[in-house]
Amino acid sequence: MNNSLSEILSDLKADFSDSADLTIRNLTLKSERQIKAAIVTIEGLCDKEQLSQSVINPLLPYDFKSMKGQEAADKILSSVMASSDVVVIYTKKEIISFITSGFAVIIVDGAQQMFAVGVQGYSFRGVNEPESEVVQRGSREGFSEPLRVNMSLIRRRMKNPDLVFEQMTVGRESKTQLMLCYLKSRVSPKLLGKLKKRLNSCNLDSVLASGYLSEYLEDERSSRLFSGVGISERPDTVCGKLTEGRIAVIVDGTPAVLIVPRLFVEEFQGVDDYSNRTYYAAFIRLTKYLSFFTALFLPGLYVALAQFHPEYFPTGILIKTSESLAQTPLPVTLETLAITFVYEIMKEAGLRIPKSLGHAVGIVGALVIGESAVNAGIISSSTLMVVATAAICSYVTSPLYPPVTMLRFIFIIIGGLCGLWGIVIATAVMIISMCSKTSLGVPYMSSLAPFSLRTMRDVFVRADWKSLSKHIIKVQRFKETEV
Amino acid sequence: MSKVRFSSKRLLLTLMLCACSVILLQNYDISEKSSFVFDILCMLFGLAICFVLFIPSVIIKMRTNLDFLTVARTVTPKLKIPLAVLYSLYFVYAAEFFLLPYTDMFSKKYYSDVTPCLIALILLSACVYAALKGVNVITRFGIFLFVFALITNLLMFGGSIGTLDFELYGFEVTGSVNDFIKNTVYFIIPAFIVTLFACLSGKTKNFKLRQPLFALIVTGLKYGLIMFFIWFSLGDYASKQEYQTFILARAARIGFFGGIESLYLALATMSVFMIISLVLCAVTKSAGKESDIKYVIIFAVILFAAHMCGSYLNSVKEIFTNNYIFAVFTVITAAVIPMMYVFAGRKSSARKTLHSINMS
Repeated sequence: MNNSLSEILSDLKADFSDSADLTIRNLTLKSERQIKAAIVTIEGLCDKEQLSQSVINPLLPYDFKSMKGQEAADKILSSVMASSDVVVIYTKKEIISFITSGFAVIIVDGAQQMFAVGVQGYSFRGVNEPESEVVQRGSREGFSEPLRVNMSLIRRRMKNPDLVFEQMTVGRESKTQLMLCYLKSRVSPKLLGKLKKRLNSCNLDSVLASGYLSEYLEDERSSRLFSGVGISERPDTVCGKLTEGRIAVIVDGTPAVLIVPRLFVEEFQGVDDYSNRTYYAAFIRLTKYLSFFTALFLPGLYVALAQFHPEYFPTGILIKTSESLAQTPLPVTLETLAITFVYEIMKEAGLRIPKSLGHAVGIVGALVIGESAVNAGIISSSTLMVVATAAICSYVTSPLYPPVTMLRFIFIIIGGLCGLWGIVIATAVMIISMCSKTSLGVPYMSSLAPFSLRTMRDVFVRADWKSLSKHIIKVQRFKETEV
Repeated sequence: MSKVRFSSKRLLLTLMLCACSVILLQNYDISEKSSFVFDILCMLFGLAICFVLFIPSVIIKMRTNLDFLTVARTVTPKLKIPLAVLYSLYFVYAAEFFLLPYTDMFSKKYYSDVTPCLIALILLSACVYAALKGVNVITRFGIFLFVFALITNLLMFGGSIGTLDFELYGFEVTGSVNDFIKNTVYFIIPAFIVTLFACLSGKTKNFKLRQPLFALIVTGLKYGLIMFFIWFSLGDYASKQEYQTFILARAARIGFFGGIESLYLALATMSVFMIISLVLCAVTKSAGKESDIKYVIIFAVILFAAHMCGSYLNSVKEIFTNNYIFAVFTVITAAVIPMMYVFAGRKSSARKTLHSINMS
């Protein structure tokens, strides 16, 4: 690269098209030769006070005497700069990369090297408890947006030189930084290689959230209904997964960290399970499985039984249900579909609406649409109860909400068209689809199918820690893993 | 499709579930004159024959760690087409042998308004999807089916205990030679799993001789229990009915909890789904194109056409559901032809070829 200061600066200005946030502070160093220098930053990304204290204040009064540009640059690095975070750089590409990350770059006229000084000082959200993964007992810390903060949250929990952060850049335009995080002694090199290959194949213009990448991490020709990529906002969860040989992908600007490979049974495991007593953890796990099946099958089974096999209802329920359904104008299939659909609309509205209006929407939903519709005889109370139960159950395993919602609609339609038989066939197809899915080569249904007795200690029930700690689980050791 | 080798234990578990489904679906086609103990003896003899039929394919598997079809194509490349035709015919026949009674049972016993062909069409479409995923995935599905079968059987048998009656029927041995032949042929039907094993065991590992033995013992236990409950719980009423296992499930009650026949129907449906999916895998393999979408669809269409003929033409249905034809066909494909290759494989030239395939 040319070492003339004016040329470097004019090149930079041209690259940034004289963008308003590109800040260049021109300096003349105290020397016989009147050496020119410049500090380049991006407005809003660095802490001005820190910049003054660690760079400008020590630099301006220092007497460089008769030194030339190159000698002055060496002196700046060895004796002048008061910052601990200094990187020596040589190219324009590096300048752009560092200044857009909040560094200040010092360029000395006539010197070959330049210095990127860590003075990042942009505003960001603090480390808060993640709303989507609330725990009763355990850490209240959750990931935040800045990459380095998230890295420190993991490093604080894994004081181990085995923990490796490997930097990559994705997005042709956004140049988003991401970190692959893994334990060197636990991870499979082949698995890691496979992941890197997939990330390198990502040809997106911009990667603004970790979710953009999750589809690139899914296995090819694998069912996309269930996700083979885990997401967590909790550093303790990520650390737990790293010890099992998994790889975390931390994307700059997103608190949701991607974890691969992801297995079906993990959707039912929570941080609290490992803090609670074993019998209670087992009870909670079984409740989660029951809720999953209820959320998935209840409306479909209800429709199938009410439409084709009412004789299977116990007599008392049959009488009440028949009376209730007889008063409504719509067939039970359409009614169930309509209520489920209205519920989804209300849920979306509830998520997007300002918090101050949320209460009003809740009242409208519960009283107007719910109670009034039942009283007016538009919908039956039994159908409403079934849909509401399924809806509540679907939040018990919230990561599975998208596939469960879609499958629920499918089961309602099939139950209404083909009865129980249709639901059986659809279930068989669903199981086949799940069994064929892999996450980075690891079978998605591992522990169940292929069955492994050893890993079953942490599936339906959680064994005590003494028993769990006897065997190290490594995800690449799961049966029939292709890496 | 995955190239990974999966546990042989799991394939045998899946085949065991397929074998158990015979008594779930079939019309319990044994002599009315023979006694319970006589039927049990016939069953033991029939399953012993099944085990003997396993021997050639077990020898091939243990010797080469390959499936029979791969060995046959390697040792006798000139016979590739006749073998493909014979095994394709057998598998189409086997699929119809299970599909026709199933749709018949469904429309007669469960939901009379439905057209059997529509059921067959939907079922075959689901099977095409499963067959495209391969044998490994179907055997994983078998694990879930095994758990479901265990629960259903426990409920079915547990719910029938209250109605057991040992006074009317004893444990004497009565039956003629004709009864013995008829019953034994019925109990040879599960040997179709031997042909499936011979064709689909190529990608399995850790095969042990005790695995097929164990599969047949569990099948025998299940048959024995179903026969016991049909005999002592339903009694004469059962012999006058079609699809006695369905009647057993319908009659079972645990307190106020009834309707076990819906679970039975689900089990039967999933069993047929699994058998036909495996058959589609096997038939495409016998045609030389494993889990190839084009071949799977072609054979599914052939199965549907055959089912249409079987549904509307009684003579065709009788051929497709004839126990004797099926037993003979099974013995030929499961034992006679593989046995020839057991002897052919002993020649040094054949050994060298197989060894080179194994190494590759």
